[in-house]
Amino acid sequence: MTATPIFRAEGIQKAFPGVLALKGVDISLHPGSIHALLGENGAGKSTLIKVITGVHAPTAGKMYLDGAETGFASPRDAIAKGIGVVHQERNLFPRFSVAENIFLEQLADSWVRPVDYARLNREARPWLESLELDIDPATPVSELSVARMQLVEIAKALSLKSRVLLLDEPTASLTSSETDRLFTILRRLRDDGTSLVFVSHKLEEVQEICDRVTVLRDGENACDSRPMQGVDRNDLVQMMIGRAESGGAWRHRDTEAQPEVLGLTGVATALGHRDIDLTVRKGEIVGLYGLIGVGRTELAKCIMGQFAVTGGELRVDGSAVRIGSVAEAIHRHGIGYISEDRKGEGLILQHTVLENAGVPIWRKLARAFGSLSDRRVEGVVTPFLRKLEVKTPSLAQTAGNLSGGNQQKISVAKWLAAGVSLLIVDEPSVGIDIKTKAYLHDLLRELADNGTAILLISSDMPEMIALADRIAVMDGYRIRGEVANTGVYRDISRRIMDLIHGESAARAG
Amino acid sequence: MSAQDLVPASAGPLSPTGGGLSRTRFFLSNEFGLILLIAAFVAVFAFTTRGFLSPFNLFSLGRNSAVNIMIGLSMMTVIVTGGLNLAVGAIGVCAAMVCGWMIEVLALPWPLAVLGGLALGAALGFVNGWMVVRTGLHSFIITLATMSIFFGAMIFLTRAESFRAMPEVFSAFGKMKLATYLSPLLLVTLACALLLAWLYRFTVTGREMLAAGANPAAAELSGINVNRAVILCHVLSGVLAGLAALMLVTRNGAAIPSMAGQLGQDWLLPAFLGPVLGGTLLKGGKVSVLGTVLGAFLVTMLTSGLLMLQVGAFWVQTFLGLMLLVAVLLDKARRSYLARRNLA
Repeated sequence: MTATPIFRAEGIQKAFPGVLALKGVDISLHPGSIHALLGENGAGKSTLIKVITGVHAPTAGKMYLDGAETGFASPRDAIAKGIGVVHQERNLFPRFSVAENIFLEQLADSWVRPVDYARLNREARPWLESLELDIDPATPVSELSVARMQLVEIAKALSLKSRVLLLDEPTASLTSSETDRLFTILRRLRDDGTSLVFVSHKLEEVQEICDRVTVLRDGENACDSRPMQGVDRNDLVQMMIGRAESGGAWRHRDTEAQPEVLGLTGVATALGHRDIDLTVRKGEIVGLYGLIGVGRTELAKCIMGQFAVTGGELRVDGSAVRIGSVAEAIHRHGIGYISEDRKGEGLILQHTVLENAGVPIWRKLARAFGSLSDRRVEGVVTPFLRKLEVKTPSLAQTAGNLSGGNQQKISVAKWLAAGVSLLIVDEPSVGIDIKTKAYLHDLLRELADNGTAILLISSDMPEMIALADRIAVMDGYRIRGEVANTGVYRDISRRIMDLIHGESAARAG
Repeated sequence: MSAQDLVPASAGPLSPTGGGLSRTRFFLSNEFGLILLIAAFVAVFAFTTRGFLSPFNLFSLGRNSAVNIMIGLSMMTVIVTGGLNLAVGAIGVCAAMVCGWMIEVLALPWPLAVLGGLALGAALGFVNGWMVVRTGLHSFIITLATMSIFFGAMIFLTRAESFRAMPEVFSAFGKMKLATYLSPLLLVTLACALLLAWLYRFTVTGREMLAAGANPAAAELSGINVNRAVILCHVLSGVLAGLAALMLVTRNGAAIPSMAGQLGQDWLLPAFLGPVLGGTLLKGGKVSVLGTVLGAFLVTMLTSGLLMLQVGAFWVQTFLGLMLLVAVLLDKARRSYLARRNLA
């Protein structure tokens, strides 16, 4: 250790009733450094962050700020001592302006004095400029893109004079170009002497930007604040999951001769898609690549019958169909959709595991007068939950209490149980850890091998190239072209990017 | 289908509903708490008042709680969707008045008139549900409006006059005593409650209502027709409100426009007390039929007991309001306790 750490935590323990979430964790944060905090879901990362930011008081252990022992009575106290955090969930008020959000805690000097908006906006500007954010401080946050909201949160944390800034999965909802910009900014903050903590599941990013790393496993240090130098991806994975990464690589599969399950010819939709041509054959994994907001999820919802197809032809199993409702898509045509928004659209968090896993098959299993017992659903659903190794104390457990990975497994299991012949999978590995992700990839391959047609929507390029047989590239609500996957990352990623930036490809060709 | 060809792995960390835990969970449940409260208050009233356990008082207690429970169930079916139905009283009175009109003016046989009343309840419920689904507005606004519309139209059409020439069967049924103390009305209500419990626990329709209430977007993408489920909840609410009003008719021997107060507002407190005391989630998606029954019963019993203690009627209202608050706070405490123990 060269410099003295700004912040040091030693032997932090945190007990919740029934669980010891942290069992004596150490971490030291140095000025001018970007520190990776890694670990699988449930390893204790979030708890550690909450301890460092004053949300939880540790059960045991000591914390030092600039070498002097310290403690945080509340999040405000931690902020006052220079520790800022950008949480994974957005913590902005959508209707408030950018400036109001940044200075939320310091809006006016006294509670009767009116807020001086002109001053507020003026003072907000330097913080935005320091992040190269070209927006009017008076803009309501709700009008910003997700990436910009993220930057506003960082601006807010910086305005509080944070010397330590914790970023919890800041890139989870950013596109790759937005991520690059964020990284440029983070590097500049680092060079200015801020100590940054970067939490992410994307190891490529961690390796790219972090210079130190702490890995947690089961509430203990798998490594403590060691330099990133000489640590490769396999080492990180090994530390996180306690063994080497499983998960097969891409392999060639012959599906040319298989019958078409889903076919779109010249499809236009009520949401603005034009001239969409796309086919998915039996047993095939077709990737639908594109950045966020280019119409991929929207296309999925049109195929599912939630929004109308207004032109062209949509074929299921070779015959042209009109799908009027999601129920029709599922029950008549055997199409399932795993949403990217697990909490909002995928699962009913307050209901039990059993109820969630069974929804699509309720109608099918019902007997006279629509009667249906739990046992009947259990019989069908349990083998799939078992197969996916869903970790839950019981089927009666509330889905919201499970980890993100387990929730994702349930949303996969529910469609396996429904026995769909086409599965649309939207961003399957957002927010889930490496082990579950590798597992999920194996599972999708196995499903395809068994004859399910899969339409994979993802903006995670490595994931796309590891899984897909063919990759259709979407931009601006149109299909820009298709690439046959060979599994060679550099080659394929270049061809995909060429399709997105169409003109440059034309010039090159 | 293809996906079902997958071979299920044999052993896994899954067990069906845990056995030992479920008993603990029952003792921490709302329902158990209500049973304790009921038992405690029965003991208190039995000692402090004269005649609380007399056959006459038990009979009137049963008859009153039959109506109150029914009103609570009527509200509960809409709370399931995360909404509410302020028009329960108005719909109920309208159903009763149509029943009376069909008997007195159209001279139809009473069973047909009863069906007619319930059908009107269903139709008015449908209007509520359809408007909620179509406009996308919260049911609070819609039912606040329809409460006035339904009630106003009813007053206009009936000229605020009662139908008093009800057939003998009605009042006979209202006065009937089984084994000297049990009102058959209570049996009707309990039968309805059993049907509802069965609906939510053992039928696809009921499960779909709960799923649609808990998370409409997820329910929709899982193939549930959310709009239909919401409309159905309102229809059910209308029918149950009609039933509650018809029970009042058997008790009063007449269909009276003011039997639920101005705009049917007298029903609102019992309508919310039952479900809320019983642990039905106001944001929808979770329901306890047993809880609603016990909650409404507790309220009826407290009212009756307090009146027998000669506490003024206004104090009873105050007390019921307080009770609603205390119940909500207790429930909050219970929930956070369960969450900390990872039991819920």
